[in-house]
Amino acid sequence: MTSPVQPGRDSREKFEEFASTGDERLRNELVESHLGLAHQLARRFASRGETYDDLVQVASLALVRSVDRFDPERGVEFSTFATRTIIGELKRHFRDKGWAIRAPRRIQELYLELGPAIEALTQQHGRPPTVGEMARAVGSSEEAVLEAIEAGQSYRTTSIDAPDRQEGTIAGRLGDIDSGFVGTEDRMLLAISLAQLPERERTILNLRFVDGLTQSEIAERVGISQMHVSRLLAASLSTLRESVVGES
Amino acid sequence: MSDVVELTLPVKADLVVLARLTAATVASRANFDIEEIEDLRLAVDELCVSLVGDRSDGRMFLRFIRDDDQIEVEGTLQSGPGESGPGSAPGGLSERILDALVDDHGFDGQDGTPRAWLRKRRARQQA
Repeated sequence: MTSPVQPGRDSREKFEEFASTGDERLRNELVESHLGLAHQLARRFASRGETYDDLVQVASLALVRSVDRFDPERGVEFSTFATRTIIGELKRHFRDKGWAIRAPRRIQELYLELGPAIEALTQQHGRPPTVGEMARAVGSSEEAVLEAIEAGQSYRTTSIDAPDRQEGTIAGRLGDIDSGFVGTEDRMLLAISLAQLPERERTILNLRFVDGLTQSEIAERVGISQMHVSRLLAASLSTLRESVVGES
Repeated sequence: MSDVVELTLPVKADLVVLARLTAATVASRANFDIEEIEDLRLAVDELCVSLVGDRSDGRMFLRFIRDDDQIEVEGTLQSGPGESGPGSAPGGLSERILDALVDDHGFDGQDGTPRAWLRKRRARQQA
C-alpha cells in the first residue's frame, strides 16, 4: 500500500535544488512526479463525469504553481502545500462556473452574483468577506447566501452523494488512493506537452496561473491584445487537455 | 462558553447536505470568512465520507461545537447489531485533504464506535 506521492528525501533535495537553481528540467520532473495528486484531487472533486477533464486541467496548473512557489525551508511537506493550493484553485473554479446548479432560479441568480461580490469585498477589505458582508453587498439574507453557496458548490458530491458511480464508495476511493499508477501515462503526457508549447504560450500560462495576472495585465506585459491573450490561453489549455485526456 | 449544536442523520446520500449547511451556518454565525466556511464545508463532507465508508445504513451523530475563535466538529457512527464501521483511520487522500482544510483532525474507533473529529480556528479576530 504505497501512496503515489512519496515526498521522501529525494523529493526534498530536488525541491531545494530547484528553489536555488530554478532549473526548468527539474521543475518539469517535480511537476511530473506529483501529477498523481492533481488527478486524485480532481477525481475526488468531480461530481459529474464531464467535469473531470476540466478539473484535471485546473488541478494540474495549480500543481505547477505549487512547485514554483513551494519553499522547502518552511518545513511543510510539499504534498500538504500542493493539496492546499490545488483545493484552493478548484474552489475558485467552481465559484466561477457555478457548476451543476440544481436550485430555484433566484438562488441560481444569487449564486452568480456572489463570485464578483466576494472578489470586490476581498479587494476592499484585504481579506475574504464574511457571509454577513456578502449578504449586505448583494442585498440578500445570510440564509439565502448560505443556501446559494450550498447549491452552487455541492461539488464534493462523489461517494455518498453519488452512490451510482463506480468510485462512489469509500472503498472504491481508497482503491484510488493506494494505486501507485494513477495517471502515470497522463503525467508523462502533460510534462511533454508543457515542454512542447511555444515559449510565448508557456510564458502566458505562467503569468496567468503562476503569477496570477489577469488577461489584461498579461496583454500589456506581452504586448498583444487581451483578446489575443484569451485565445492563446484557450488554445494552450486545449492542447494540454488533449494530451492529458488522450487521443480519444 | 461553548455552544453545541447536535445533528443526527441517517446515513443517506441526500442528507449530507444538512451536515454541510449546519457547519456553514454555525461558522457564519461565528464570523468565519467565506474562505474558511468553504474549507469547513469541504472538511465536514470529507469527515462524513471517511466515517461512513461504504455503508448505506445506520445513523450518524454530528456535534458542532462553537467556541470563541474555533469550531470543532465531531462525528460518530452508530452501527446496528452485527454491523461495523470502517474501524480504522482513513489514510491517504482523506488525511491530506483534511490537513489542507482544517487545523487539526483525528479518528478513533473505540468500542467499535468509529469517531472522527476536526477543528478549525478563525484566522481573523472578531470585529
